[in-house]
Formats: sequence, structure tokens, C-alpha cells
Amino acid sequence: MHGLGELEAAVMDVLWRASEPMKVRDVLSDLDTGKQLAYTTVLTVLDNLHRKGWVQRELVGKAYHYEPTTSRAEAAANAVRELVNASGDPDGVLLHFARSASEHETELLRKALPRRSRKR
Amino acid sequence: MTVAAALLVTAGLMGVLAPRQLLRLVARGTDPLVLLLTWLASAVSVVTTAALAVTLLLLPDHGSHALALAHECWSSLTHGMTPRVEATGGVVGLVLLVGLLSRLVVVSVRGARRRAGRRRDHLAMLRVAAHREPGSPATLWLDHDEPLAFSLAGTPGVVVATEGLHRRLTREQVDAVLAHERAHLRGRHHLLVAAGDAVATALPFLPLFRRAPAVVRELVELAADAAAVRACGVDAVRAALLGVSGNGTPGSALAMGRDSVEVRLELLATPRRRPDSARSLLAYGAACVAAMVIPVIAAFTGLLAVILVACH
Repeated sequence: MHGLGELEAAVMDVLWRASEPMKVRDVLSDLDTGKQLAYTTVLTVLDNLHRKGWVQRELVGKAYHYEPTTSRAEAAANAVRELVNASGDPDGVLLHFARSASEHETELLRKALPRRSRKR
Repeated sequence: MTVAAALLVTAGLMGVLAPRQLLRLVARGTDPLVLLLTWLASAVSVVTTAALAVTLLLLPDHGSHALALAHECWSSLTHGMTPRVEATGGVVGLVLLVGLLSRLVVVSVRGARRRAGRRRDHLAMLRVAAHREPGSPATLWLDHDEPLAFSLAGTPGVVVATEGLHRRLTREQVDAVLAHERAHLRGRHHLLVAAGDAVATALPFLPLFRRAPAVVRELVELAADAAAVRACGVDAVRAALLGVSGNGTPGSALAMGRDSVEVRLELLATPRRRPDSARSLLAYGAACVAAMVIPVIAAFTGLLAVILVACH
């Protein structure tokens, strides 16, 4: 399972670097994972990526052509948006460097701060 | 009856008064981790004190014969009510307590499951969208202009950061941000946050419980700041906080954090002793023990005062 996840990232990398939609065979030949992969493996990975909405495909002749649904930058921006939203969720799975949960506690702390530093 | 009542009253007082006192100590520069543990220990202490009170009500002789010898008037105080009322009170208390504790367990388990799901989703997305820099913990870099950093709980946890950090901050400042996030993971801060949330959801009646989520979140940030200061120096942490919070566009999530960042900056300006590990271990232990016994001691001191006043 872990291996498949890493392959997804590698396949997306290939698709993002390409300028046009690619066939499975093209993806396979551009993949540089250090070992020879089976055609069906790459097909499975692309299938997974399609199901998860990372790639879209179009039937050209007899073969599917795959391309990313978003640019790499958009994907990063979407990820950032998801994380920022999630860091406000009450489930506490994420902590955000410059965000805190409550105005009330901040206000209490501010009031309790020593006068010397408050005057600055 | 009287002993049980006194215990319940002190437990309640602790639940009401402890929050403000603890926050005051934070502002005076006490190690945030000590206060964090004290907060959670106080929550446990309030529950156990209540449990002790219920137990006393249910015991046939109220566990008080040893004390009764101390003074004749004790018996008149201990039997303020008929045994039947006390036993009923005890049973009701026991049912309430068991109910609340099972609720706490259910809430915690449910929360843990939900968090595991969230974590899986985030990681699945990050695996594709981010560039992984191996390490312990690993850092996942997102190619994004806003300077942001997160820590994602788990075993192992990961730090998530944007390339914007490198573009807007100096190298030392980036190190400070990453040190802060790693401190969250090393200190298991996500678990503390989860514990605070579970307590507030399951027992939402005293300020000590109700405000735990917000206070724990605030205190883990301060603890992580302190760790980053130890690793990178106070100047780098201050500059990193300023750099990151100053760049948020109005209305974005960062703008919301600005108030709390100001307080963190002021706290960084407050001189703090560098904790050495032996002393801080002692402090953690002392704080927890104190939080556990304070309500019981307070209850018996109060009773003793009543005896002295009533029987002289």
C-alpha cells in the first residue's frame, strides 16, 4: 500500500512535467523509479489517481490518454487551503505555526502579562 | 455527609478558580509545559475528588471513625443528615460519575477514530502534492508562496511547510519555524490537544474542563516556542513569528492568529529561566502532585476550621 502511494507521486510528477496528455506506455517509459515496473502496475496507479480525481482521461482510438486535472501549483494551493481549514477544526490533528484557537484565552493572557512588557 | 460535601465544594472551587490562576502563571514566565500538565492533572483531580466524596457517602461509617476520635463534636458534624439521605446521595453520585466517565471514554475513542481518518486523508493528498524531504520527522514541502507551517500528528508525525518560508524568511528563521513544529511532534502536543477536547466535550460544566481546548492549544504553542528558542535563539523565533504573521492577507486564516501571535511575541520578551532537565522534571512532578492533593487538603482544612470555630 505504501509503495503504491509513492508510485502515485512519481506518476503525477511525470504527468506534470509532460506538456500534453500521455498514454500508459508513455508514462511507463518516463518513470524513473529505479526498477522496471509492469504495465499493469502503472495502469492500476493511473486508475487510482483517476478515481481520486488527480487525473482525467480521454479515450483516443483504443487507448486512454491521461492528464492532470490541476497544475502542480494549483495542487499545492489546494493542499494549503485544506490544511489551513483543517487547522481550525476541533479535532486537533493539525497544529498551525501562527494560529491559535481562541480570542478569549489570548485576551486573558494579555491582561495577565506584566505591565512592563504591556507598555511597550 | 459534611466531609463529602466539603470535598465536592473544593473540587468545584478548583474547577472554577484554577483556570485564571494558571493563565496568570503563564504570563509570569512559568514553563508552559508545567502549566499544561498542571491543567490536565487538575482536571483529573477534580474528578477523583468528586469520586472520593461519593465513596465517603456510600461507606457505612463514612470512613470517618479515625477522624471522629479527634474531636467529640465531629460526630455531630458528620451526621448532618440521616443515613438514608446520604446513601441515596451516594448512589446518585456514583451513577452520575460512572455515566460521565463512560462518556469520556466514548468521546475519546470516537475522537481518536475521526482523527486517524483525517490524518489518512491529509497524508494521501500531501503524498502527491508535496515534495518529501526525508528526516525524522520528515518534512513535506508544498510549492506555495504564502509562508506557512503545520505539524500533522501521527506515528511518525510529519512537518508540512511551504516554500514561501524560504522566500520570505532567513535561513535561521526557517529553522526556528521548523524547530517549533518538531517540538509539537516530539512533545506529543496533538495528544494533549485531543485530551483537552475530549474532557471539554464529555464534562462541559466547570471552566477548568470547558476551557481546556483553547488553553491547551495556547499552551502547546508557547511550549513549542520555548523549544524553538532553546534551539535557535529568541531573536530568530521572534523574527519568524513576525515574518509569518505579517504576511497574511486580511481575512485569511493568518489574520485570525494575529492577536495570539502578539501575545506570544510579548511572552518571548519576558525573561525566562532556561530550564535544566532535572529541575523541570521536579517541577512537573511537584505540579501534578500539588494539583492532585490540593482539593482534598483544602476540604479538610476547611472542615478543621469549622470544627475549631463550632466547638470552642
